Amino acid sequence: MMKLRRGFEMDEGPLAEVNTTPLIDVSLVLVVILLLATPLAFESSFGVRQGDRLAKPGVVEDVQDRVELAITGENRVEVNGRSVAVEQLAGALQPLFASGASRDVAVSCADQISHGAFVRVLDIAKLNGAANIAVAEK
Amino acid sequence: MRLRQAPTTPPMAKINVTPIIDVALVLVIILLVTAPMMSLSDLPVDLPGAHARDTERPDFISLTMAADGRLALDEAPLGGLADVAPRLRDRLAARRDTNRLVVVRADASLPHAAVRRLLDAAREGGALNLGIATSQISGGRP
Repeated sequence: MMKLRRGFEMDEGPLAEVNTTPLIDVSLVLVVILLLATPLAFESSFGVRQGDRLAKPGVVEDVQDRVELAITGENRVEVNGRSVAVEQLAGALQPLFASGASRDVAVSCADQISHGAFVRVLDIAKLNGAANIAVAEK
Repeated sequence: MRLRQAPTTPPMAKINVTPIIDVALVLVIILLVTAPMMSLSDLPVDLPGAHARDTERPDFISLTMAADGRLALDEAPLGGLADVAPRLRDRLAARRDTNRLVVVRADASLPHAAVRRLLDAAREGGALNLGIATSQISGGRP
């Protein structure tokens, strides 16, 4: 018995090195995937409808219960005709949506307003419960 | 004369195919991951930031408008706004999917009028599902 054991130890010694190649390989693949996927993960989009016209005052239309936003300045927006600062838009929208009215929103924007300011208003509307957003012409 | 002694280890009978399979799989994964990016234009665009995210579809057609007004449909540059509708119509017909999402990637500094004209042109080109691209902001509310 003793003789056999000694023979085994002499023929095959203990494993001295751990093969790290597969580990490094898999790690590099994960790094590459993360590097490539990161820009896509941070890009999103809002769905919009296009081409609606805002209801004119005094004209009865079937879209009268939707919320109408008109962006009049980089920091001003009219909510159903009432002018508020963009910072106060969330507070103006919440009671409208909470009252059970339509969650459809029509957004019109003055031509010179930046696209960034336009998207900011869409973002606030979405975060506060807007379901469908239509880009309207004034 | 003394002859060289033959090596005691036997010749290698099998080829180790593990590394080549490993590298091949890595290439497949890289191609799969980069394929959607290939359809985006490399025009410099500073997308407007937003917290909310809405339409999530990996297979969309992108319409890009840079800050200087240059246009691109997916990765292909366009000559001007007049090219948008016919080229988009062709692209939608080639993919046989009129319901495909068309995402407008417009620079945040552009005036809204320019973006609206682009949206109009996209709709004229047959886009039924339109989206406005945003740069995702994580955490905090506006």
